[in-house]
Formats: sequence, C-alpha cells, structure tokens
Amino acid sequence: MAVPEDGNLLRGPSNTSHPALTRSTTSYIPHHNFSLAKEKQYQQQFADMYFYRLAILKPAVEKVAGEAWDGFQIGQDVVQKVDNVLGVRQGNLCWIIGTIFMDMPLKPNILDDISKDHWISAPAPREKYLSADGNDMIMLEDKSGRIRLVGHALENEMLVTGCIVAVMGTENSNGEFEVVDIKVPGLPPQSERWVQVKDEDEEMEDEKPMGNGSKMKDEDEDMEKPAPTSNGKKIAIVSGLGFSSTNSEHALELNLLSEFLLGEALDPVTQENVSQISRLIIAGNSIAVDLEATPHDTIGNTKKAAQKKYGYDSSAYNPTPTAHLDDFLVSLLPSLPVTLMPGYHDPANVSLPQQPIHSAMFPQARTYGAMPPGEDGKSTPGWFDTVTNPWAGEVEGWKVLGTGGQNVDDVFKYVEGEDRLGMMEAMCRWRCCAPTAPDTLWSYPFQFDDPFVLTSCPHLFFVGSQPKFDTAVIEGEDGQTVRLIAVPKFSETGEIVLVDSETLETSVVRFSVT
Amino acid sequence: MAGTRGTTRKSSGPAQKGTQKTLAFTNNKVTKPSAALPGKPSKLSQNIKSEIIKAEDIKSEIDSASQDLGHIDSAPAIERQAKAEIKNVKQGLKDGTRSAQEVRASKVSDEQIKKFWRDRERERLVPRVHMGGIPLEEKVCRFFDMSSEFGPCIGISRIRRWTRAQKLGLNPPIEVLAVLLKEEDKGNGRKIERAYIDELLNSWGGVSSEAQSG
Repeated sequence: MAVPEDGNLLRGPSNTSHPALTRSTTSYIPHHNFSLAKEKQYQQQFADMYFYRLAILKPAVEKVAGEAWDGFQIGQDVVQKVDNVLGVRQGNLCWIIGTIFMDMPLKPNILDDISKDHWISAPAPREKYLSADGNDMIMLEDKSGRIRLVGHALENEMLVTGCIVAVMGTENSNGEFEVVDIKVPGLPPQSERWVQVKDEDEEMEDEKPMGNGSKMKDEDEDMEKPAPTSNGKKIAIVSGLGFSSTNSEHALELNLLSEFLLGEALDPVTQENVSQISRLIIAGNSIAVDLEATPHDTIGNTKKAAQKKYGYDSSAYNPTPTAHLDDFLVSLLPSLPVTLMPGYHDPANVSLPQQPIHSAMFPQARTYGAMPPGEDGKSTPGWFDTVTNPWAGEVEGWKVLGTGGQNVDDVFKYVEGEDRLGMMEAMCRWRCCAPTAPDTLWSYPFQFDDPFVLTSCPHLFFVGSQPKFDTAVIEGEDGQTVRLIAVPKFSETGEIVLVDSETLETSVVRFSVT
Repeated sequence: MAGTRGTTRKSSGPAQKGTQKTLAFTNNKVTKPSAALPGKPSKLSQNIKSEIIKAEDIKSEIDSASQDLGHIDSAPAIERQAKAEIKNVKQGLKDGTRSAQEVRASKVSDEQIKKFWRDRERERLVPRVHMGGIPLEEKVCRFFDMSSEFGPCIGISRIRRWTRAQKLGLNPPIEVLAVLLKEEDKGNGRKIERAYIDELLNSWGGVSSEAQSG
C-alpha cells in the first residue's frame, strides 16, 4: 500500500461516493398445478391416478410406437397392435401399451410393520429395493390385467413402477411376454420461451375432449435463431440448508451464503455480479431432521409417560430451527425475492404434492409474503413466495419445473447405479415427474387429474437435495431442450447453483471454511 | 405386553372361595326413588324429552348437511360429488356449454334405453343371470360400472365418472347419462349415484338396508 506524502495514514472520510448497486429483477409467474383444494377428499382409491395417467399418455406412446413399428416384421410375422394386455396370444408378434409395475420383494411392505410389533425393531431401511438374486419381476398392466415381461431388451432400459410404455414381443410358453423392443412417450411438446401457458387447475375445466390439443410447434419460425447471449442475470438455486437445533456445523457457511447473496462480501466486481442474481429458489429441506427429539422435561425419567395435552407431547417440539430459518430469510428478503419449496424434512405434509409451508412458521418473513387475493380472486405472488413441492412456474419466460428430491430419491431405489441425472432424463422421457407415486412415494389420491404428468416440456428441470451437483442438457425429437440440474445439499457440500437466465448455463459457488 | 418380573399372573378360573370378594354385576338395580312413580309424568322430564327430541333433529340435520367428508364411508362424499356434478351438467345443458353428446342425452327416450340394453344382452352368448329384481336403470348403470375402460367405479359418483370419461375422449354411452339424469329428475339421485359394488366393498359385514332393492 502506498504511503501518502505527508506520511500520515490517518485521514478523514473521503468524499467519493460509491454508487449503490441495485439488484436486477426478473419476471416471475408461479403456476398452481400442484395446489390442492383446502377440503380434500380421501374416499377414492389410488387406481384413479393410474387410470388417468394411462389414459393421458396412451395416445402419445401409441404415436411413437406406431411410427417405429409400423410394418415391422420378424421372419414371417408382421407386428400387430393388441388392445388389451390379456389379448396377447402365444406365438403372435404384437405390441401392447400399459403401465409398468415392478414386483419387488424388498419394497416396503405392510407386513414389515406387523413384524415390527412382534420382534422389537424394524428391519433397517434399505437403500435399494433391488434384490440380489433376481426375484424382481417386471410386469405390464392395463385395465384387463397384468403380464410378466422378460427379455434382454429390458436390461438396457430404466423402468420403474408407474411409467407408461409400449412393448413389442410375443408370449412364450411360460405365459411371459418376451420383449423385443420398448418405446416410451418421449419428451412432451415444448412451447417457446415467452409464451404464457394457461394456468391449469386441478379440475379439468375445458369441455373439449382430448384430441384437439393446441399446436405448440410454430411452423414459420424455421429460420436460424441467433445463439442466446447472456445478459448476466442469474437465478440462484439452493437446497438442503439444514437449519437444525442440534447440528450447527455449517452455520458459518450459511452466514457466508447470506452475506454473499446480499452483496456484502467480496470485492466490488463480484458484488456487481451478485447484483445480477435476481431470485433465490430454495428447493427443499431447509430444516434438518432432528433424530433425537426427546421430551425435555423427562430427562432421566424416560419411563414416566410425558404429559400429553391435546394428544401430542409439546415438550418434544423445538422451535429453534424454524426461527433460524425465519431470521435467515428475513435478512435476505428486503433485497432478494425468495421462493421456498418444502422438502422431505420440512414442516409440511408428507405426501406429494407437498403444500406450501404455512406462513405461521415465519412470523417475520411473512410480511414479505403475498397480499390476500383482490376482488377478482387473483393473487399476485409476493416477494416471499412459499410454493408447493413439486413446483412449476415461469421465471424470465422459461418454464421451470422443480422438485425437492423425493421423486428422484425414490426412483433411485428402483434402479441400479448412481446416475441421478439419468433418472431425471428418464422422468422427462416418461413424461411423468413422479412415476413411483403412489406406489412407494406417498401421494394424494388424485381422482380427476394426475399433475405429475408433464403435459408440456419444461425448459429447466431442477431437483434438490441430491448428493452432488450435476447438470446436463437433453434434447427431444421435436427440438425440445431441457436443462437438468441436480442441486446438492448445502449442509453437506456448501454449494449453490447459479443459472444464467438467458443461456440457462449453470455455475456453482462453493462456500467452505477450512 | 411383557409383564415385569415381580408378579406372575396365573390365569385362574372362577374365583376361588375365600380369596377375594367379587362384585356382583347381575340383577342389581339401583333405582332413584323419585322416578318410579306411575301416573302423570313430571313436567321436568317432559321438558327433558322435548329437548332430547330437538337435539336429535339437529343432529340429523347436521348429518345430512354433509359435514362428513367420507373418510370412513364413501357414501356422503359421493353424494356431495354427485349433487355438484348434476348441477354442473344441468346448468351446462341450459347454457349450451356442454358437448353435443350430452345435449343428445337429455333427449334420449325410454325406448332408446331399452334398445341399448337389448343390444348389450345380444352381444353375449347367454343372457346375464341373477338380474331379475333389478330395474332397467340399475342394470344399465351396473353395466357402466363394470366397463373398466372408463376407470375404477369405486369412490366416485356415476355421473362424475361419466363426465370424466367424456373429457378423456373415451366415448361413454350417452344412454347411461340419460338414465342418470332421468333418475335425478325422478328424485332417485341419491340411490343411483353410488356404484353397487362400492357399497358392497365398503360395508362392514353386512349389506346396509339402503342397498339397491329396486
């Protein structure tokens, strides 16, 4: 540092003014595809969900399979389409459409709960449901019945319960269907960037029968589009903040994160970059699960039943994690809009779709929340937006779909390997973002809709609470492109993801204290 | 539940003599001296009776005001669903917002419904058995329930299932919608909206007295 001429380092405050940086803004339109009505009905069975999924996706699979297999023949047989699974005849080369069901003996079973009553401890939760000795059966099911699928073609294809596929093959002497080829629906039609999608309610309001779906592809715009250049605006996505009352190992990283996002840390050049971060999306698991929730007033006297009032033991509840989360949010909110999605460990309902975390949990942050709906019934999202998990919305014109991670974690248990990005890609190609719901993933019994079915292709699909960061771009047959992002857990890795809002390229910022 | 080590419990038969006195729960009536008087009932008990009658009326009102969301038995939920959907359909038919199919359904005659049923019976090798005491409307509706291409029939009212199938483009027969609307006009809406098999599967050990009897 240069020493000034008069040799005195002490000086008065300088008169140079530092321009305050302002944060850039983005357009933000959340969709309410996954909101449930306040009065929920539970008299229905889950079969309605599977019926609806098959009815919606069957035309798409039919189209893909028809194009691929029309006129296909092996030897003398020409392949035929069969309407029912049970209509398959031995020796006939045919193709059928149905829902996959994986019959795995290691799946969670109600009988495990019963055995827990008899033998003290439950069997340990498994990481994967795959059984080592090949006891898993893959079956194809539709309204008529089920048939078991065998064959080498199945080994290369990722399949979980609930995905709709078309299989071609023939029935062998064991009554099983030998598969020659499999087709999945593929990516759904994708709309252009700034085209607004009509907000779809849970109930089907339109009277037109399916069949004249709206055209998404624009035939005139075939000319070369210039490659998108970045204007620097970014969206930050973080997940697994893990506020906890017992574990504060990453408290310093959380502090650094809030300083970084507020532009208080680092040098002015980086601060200018940070001022381009226009929104923060918290993708679940902001509260860590507290495994040692014991009632505090019976320490040392665990035999005595804790006093129960109102049917639960209130001394076991610890409000500090949500209070910490509230403080964190309220420090960010004045300058940065936040979208908060619930995760598996957050105080929201367990079954998908998780509803927004109630604003009562955030006594300070809720002042930044949405205003009550106006006379026309529409409500504009507030600076602080608590949303559902999974969540669909439009950020800066891009269609975004995000989940808190439960869907990918559940699919992970069905397939071999660790490739989470491959599972996300498969989900897009199956056109279903939570295929294992309601089989092993708890879900609301939808009766007239399956909101997990992707009717339009998102531009950005992010999944939170993954073990490590990963990203890729996948492409579809009609030119759809999806950017997939697996967001890592902040409490373990200290990383947040920044997505450029023009090019959808990602970068990672890591906070670590060594 | 495991017992603690100290006490062993012997399963004993009837209590042995001389071990412990037992309480007699048989045949001992404890009567209040005042209530046993015959003759004119006291004014107080009459007031109480009228209060009880009023309370029961209110209770039955509350029950029928569909507070029950159908978590135990699906009947109230299906009833509510059916009421809302029928209102929707009728309103739509008046406004002209329903599809042409549905408009035709309101014009379907009884003859057409009979013909529809005859055609279905003719498709089979042998006519259906055990259908003697069931009216034609119920037969048509049960046929619709068992058509699995329109989805599961349990936990959903028949009219709602029809409109769902219609919206998915599965072409449910309009005769079924006609039957349901006609029955609603006759005032039988509550009985016909719930699939019979739904009642069977939800009943606790015996078919309820509200089962389809025709």
